[in-house]
Amino acid sequence: MIDLVQNTIDGVMIGSSYGLLALGFTLIFGVMRRLNLSYGPSIMIGGYVGTVLYVQYGAGPLAVAGTMILGAAIAGIYVERLCFAPMRMGAGIASMVSSFAIWMQLEQAAILVLPRHTYPFPPLTTGAPLEWGPFLLRLDHLIMLGCALGLTAAIQFALYRTRFGLALRAIIGNPVAAHLVGINVSVAVMLAFAAASAIGGVAGFLVLSVDQQVTPMFGMWATLKGLIAMMIGGLGSIPGAILGGLLLGVVEAHCQWYFGPQIRDLAAYIVLFVFLLVHPGGLLGRAPGSDIAAPRTP
Amino acid sequence: MLDVTDLVTAYGKIEALKGVSLQVEGGKITCLLGPNGAGKTTLMMTIAGVLQPRRGSIRLKGAELAGLSPARIVSQGVALVPENRLVFPHMSVYENLLAGAYQRHDKAGVNADIERMYARFPQLHERSEQMAGTLSGGEQQMLAVARALMSQPRLLLMDEPSLGLAPLIVAEIFNIIAELNRDGTTIFLVEQNAHMALQVAHQFFLMEQGRITFKGTPGQLAEDEVIQRAYLGTRRAAG
Repeated sequence: MIDLVQNTIDGVMIGSSYGLLALGFTLIFGVMRRLNLSYGPSIMIGGYVGTVLYVQYGAGPLAVAGTMILGAAIAGIYVERLCFAPMRMGAGIASMVSSFAIWMQLEQAAILVLPRHTYPFPPLTTGAPLEWGPFLLRLDHLIMLGCALGLTAAIQFALYRTRFGLALRAIIGNPVAAHLVGINVSVAVMLAFAAASAIGGVAGFLVLSVDQQVTPMFGMWATLKGLIAMMIGGLGSIPGAILGGLLLGVVEAHCQWYFGPQIRDLAAYIVLFVFLLVHPGGLLGRAPGSDIAAPRTP
Repeated sequence: MLDVTDLVTAYGKIEALKGVSLQVEGGKITCLLGPNGAGKTTLMMTIAGVLQPRRGSIRLKGAELAGLSPARIVSQGVALVPENRLVFPHMSVYENLLAGAYQRHDKAGVNADIERMYARFPQLHERSEQMAGTLSGGEQQMLAVARALMSQPRLLLMDEPSLGLAPLIVAEIFNIIAELNRDGTTIFLVEQNAHMALQVAHQFFLMEQGRITFKGTPGQLAEDEVIQRAYLGTRRAAG
């Protein structure tokens, strides 16, 4: 019983990082209705900038976090300008394929600049885990959960209570009409991309500081985990992204405990498979086709 | 007020506008009639900046609009009520109106204007918290008009406001158009409903296959000829 609860706690903690990754994904997918496969690699670039700062200049975790988030945001803008801005509306597949090409480009660039496979990454805290009855709570895990909940609330606030949020929701609703009311759609989309990648940067920093190392494979890992968590949670739903991440984390933690680490990654795909079969809309998303009848865009 | 000269807009190699020239006089209702595929919506989208013209000029009181972004054109005082209304379906009526005032920063003025829209369109007031996607077609049309008015336009462009609406609602929409014009808004209207359009218009243009083929006042051409050309085009009417 204690194991069950401890595993669930660990799962929730790790799951909150998946949720953060899914949050950035959801923001891009919700606004653009397009899949950015380069999302994870943008975060990985931020991580590499961070590790250089750490290894070369001995920067502390906060400075590394700041540069990593900034680096991820800039890499995100680079991807947006290259793969998304030039593609016309409705060319979703084209931008997905080009974001795949940029994924490879970013990954190879990282390998060329820093050819060793792994680089060290600073830990966030080195303190002993908190004891809570028979259970152990890691401090960096708690920070992860706090960041996930705080950022979700911040994004909800930004979307529903600010002018920029109004613009983004207008673009989600109807991009042509958003142009017509005078929203600078191109700038708004670019900023949304930067914000999404910055959120990914927060998630990436928290994960890397727990792992205490970064590899070029981190990009693929982040894209996959974020994508799976987003699809389980429901495409385009902000609370769904966090819930999906938490569920994924809990399932993975239990599977690792009962079936071993090889089964852990398999479990993620099985959960996704079951959801796609039984409840394709995800936890909080709308199933495809059940949308309010929106007027056709020209 | 609006001077369009030799405007060419193309989709790839196909020119939808083949050198359109027309003028909209300030304070009046100008109507553009023509069959499907004549290029009317393309013209509206080009004036609003959503489509970029290949050649020609669009001048608003002498200032060039061609080449500007849609956002800049809104700030110049041009607002388009698009074909099919295009309200933001998952935003409330109130938020749709707020979005219409996106470029304005005078909060008090925006709130006062929203109250004015509620007074003019009481259905919108009743449904202010309702998602726009759940409104009826007529209510969505009124919302689209109110949203465009929120930017305080000098020139209001309307693309087929009667499309898909019941006759009673169409009559109401045209009443609103006449009323807005009496209050001083210049209106440039695209319509398929030639009968209703000719009742409110001060002047009208006929457009066929990307060109302006007639310009005049409503009394100048027999209504059945206008209707024939507006629905069928000259070529098929002659053959």
